Amino acid sequence: MAGLKDGDDFKDGEFFKNPFILKVGVGLVGFGGLLVFLLLNLFLPEKRGEMSYSWLFAVVFFLSLSVGGVFWTLLHHATNSGWGTVIRRLMENLGSLIPFLLLLALPFLIPNGYQDSLWEWFPKREAALEKSEAAAEEGAAQYVVERQSEIAGAEAAVAAAEAELAAVEAPSAGHRAHFERKIDSLKTKASKLIEQDLSEDAVHETLLNRSFQKEEALLYVKKGYLNEGAWYGRFIFYFIALSGISLMLRRWSVGMDKTGDPNQFLWLRRSSCGFLPFFATAWTFLVFDWLMALDYTWFSTMWGVYLFAGAALNSMGLLVILITILRRFGYLKNIVTVEHYHLMGKLMLAFVIFWAYIAFSQFFLIWYANITEETKFYLTRNTEFWNTYTITFLVVGHFFVPFSILLIQKVKKLPLVLSAVAVWNLCMHVLDIYWIIIPERGPSLTAGGPPSEMLMVMPWAFLFDILAFVSVAGIFVFFLLWRLGSASLFPCRDPRLDESLNVVN
Amino acid sequence: MSDSSVSSKNLFGYVAEFANATDLYHAAEKVRDGGFNRWDVHTPYPVHGMDHAMGLGKSWLSAFVLCGGVAGFSIALFMQLFTQISLYPTIVQDKPTNLFTMPAFFPVTFELTILLSGFATLFGLLGLMMLPRWNHPLFNSSLFQKFSDDGFIMVIEARDPKFKRERTREFLEEIGASKIEEVAY
Repeated sequence: MAGLKDGDDFKDGEFFKNPFILKVGVGLVGFGGLLVFLLLNLFLPEKRGEMSYSWLFAVVFFLSLSVGGVFWTLLHHATNSGWGTVIRRLMENLGSLIPFLLLLALPFLIPNGYQDSLWEWFPKREAALEKSEAAAEEGAAQYVVERQSEIAGAEAAVAAAEAELAAVEAPSAGHRAHFERKIDSLKTKASKLIEQDLSEDAVHETLLNRSFQKEEALLYVKKGYLNEGAWYGRFIFYFIALSGISLMLRRWSVGMDKTGDPNQFLWLRRSSCGFLPFFATAWTFLVFDWLMALDYTWFSTMWGVYLFAGAALNSMGLLVILITILRRFGYLKNIVTVEHYHLMGKLMLAFVIFWAYIAFSQFFLIWYANITEETKFYLTRNTEFWNTYTITFLVVGHFFVPFSILLIQKVKKLPLVLSAVAVWNLCMHVLDIYWIIIPERGPSLTAGGPPSEMLMVMPWAFLFDILAFVSVAGIFVFFLLWRLGSASLFPCRDPRLDESLNVVN
Repeated sequence: MSDSSVSSKNLFGYVAEFANATDLYHAAEKVRDGGFNRWDVHTPYPVHGMDHAMGLGKSWLSAFVLCGGVAGFSIALFMQLFTQISLYPTIVQDKPTNLFTMPAFFPVTFELTILLSGFATLFGLLGLMMLPRWNHPLFNSSLFQKFSDDGFIMVIEARDPKFKRERTREFLEEIGASKIEEVAY
C-alpha cells in the first residue's frame, strides 16, 4: 500500500530539546512554591493541619497521573499491543515521575501536625493505647488477686466434692460414678485456672487489650491493619513497588533504543505481566491508606478501582495534551497521526464511562442500603457547599459533558478539540481528588471543639490548596521536561514500531 | 455459470479476482476515482484502510444506535418517573418519592439504553445490508466463492450508471484483475 512508513527511517529517534527558559521557569515555580510552603509551615504552626490536607491533595493528584502512565505502559506490554508503541515512551516518562512524587510524600511520615491531622486513627490509637497502658498498670495487682481467689475457690470446690463422696457410706455404683464425673469436671476447671499465665507480661497484655477494646472498639478490631508498624511497612512497599516498576519499565525500554534487541522486548512483555499484580496492589492499598483512612470508620470496597479509573482516564488525557503540545513545537510530526488520536480518544471515552460506572456504583449501593457506618462519606459530601459541588462537577462535569462530546466520532479525530476535552477532564479530576480529600478537613480539624464551632469548610484554606497544587505541578512538569529530554521521544528501535507508525482503525 | 449463458439482459455484473490485498487496494482506489458507486470488494480478512481506498463515507449505523440509545434512556426514565412519582408514588426503603430518588431509577435506565442501542445496532445493520434475503446473484459465481478462502475479489454491478459491458471489462483488466467472470441473475 502506498505511503507505508518504514520504522528503519526513524531508528535514530527524535530528541526533545528543553527550552532553557521554560525549564528554569517551571523549576522556579515548583521549587519556589515548595520553599514558600515550607516557610509557611514553619511560621504558621497552627495552620499545619490545614496545609497537610493541601499537600496530600496536590501529591495524590499528580501521583495518580503518573500511576496512570505506568498502568498504560504495563497494559500495553501485557496485552502485546502494537498501536501505541510510538506514544509508549511518553507513558513511560509520565510513569517514571513516581519516585519524585513519593519523595514529596515524605512529610506524611512526620507524626506531629501532618500524620495526626490527616489520619485521626494515629492520635486516637496512641491515646487509647496510652490510656489502656495506664489502666493495665493500675489494674494488674487487683487482677492477679482476683484470679488467685478464683483458683482458690475452684480448688476448694474440688476438695468439698471429694469430702462429700467420702462422707457417703457404701455408695452405689451409680452414685460413685456421678460424683467422679463431678469431681473430674471441677478438677479440669481448676487446672485450667491454674495453668493460665499470671506472669506480669501476660496480665499486662490481657488488661491492655481489654481496655483498648473498651476505648476504641473499631481501632481494636482493625489493629492488625491500622497500626504504626504496618503503616510504615506498607509505605516502604509502595515506595519500592511503584518506583521500582516505573523505573525498570523505562530503563529497559530506553535500553532497547540503543541495542534494538528483540529479546528485551519479549522480556518487557513477560515482566509486565509479573509486575501488574504488585502494581495494582500497591496503588489500591496506597489509596486505602492515604485517602480512605482519612476517616478510619468508613470503608468502601470500590475505593481502589474508583481511584484507578480516574488515574487511567486522566493520564491518557495528559498524554493527548502532551502530544498535541509536542507536535505544535515540531516534534513527532511524522510519527503520531490522527489514527493515534482517534484510539486515545476512544480510550478516554471508555474510561469516562468506566469512571462514572464505578463512582455511581459506589454511591448507589451506599445510598440504597443506607447503613450508618457506610453513609458517612456521602453525608459529609452532601452537606452545605459540597452538595452543589458534587452534582455540578462530578455528576455533570465529570461524566455527562465529556461523555456527550466524546461520543462524536469526529471529535476524537481533531487533535485540538480532543485536547480541549482532555483539559476539561483534567480539571474535573482535580475537583474529584479535591472532593475526596478536602471535605474531611473541616470536620476532622474542628472535631475536638464544641459543636457550634464545627466547620464543614475551613475558611481561606483553599489558598494553601492552590499553593500546594502549583508547587507540586511545577515540580512535576520540571521533572517531566527533564525525562522528555533524556531519551528519544518514542521507542525508536522497537520491533512493533512499523505497526504503530502505520496503525489504522 | 459460464460467460456464454449471460446476455446483457440478465447480467448482474463482473466478479474480478486480484492477486493480493495490495493489488486490490490500488484497484479499489482507481474504481473509486472512476466514479463507480455500485461496487464492492470481498477479502478473506479485513484490510485496514480499505474503506478509505473505496471512498466510503461514515456509516449511518451510529445514527441508528444514537436514536436507539436516546429512546431507551427516555422511555425508561419516563416510565419510572411517571409511575413512581406521579401515578402511584411508592415509598421503598424510606426513599423520597420525588426526583431525588433518581439514583434508584438509573440501573433500569442504563439497561434499557443499552438494550435498545443493541437492538438498533442489530436491526439497523440488517436493514442497511438489506438482510435477510433468500439468495444473491453472486452465489452463482464460482470465482466469487474464493473470497472466503484466498481470493481478493472485486464486484462491479451492471446497474451502476458508469457500467459499460465492454469498457468495464477492459477497465478491470487495466487495473490488474487476474481473472474476470460475468455473473448472471
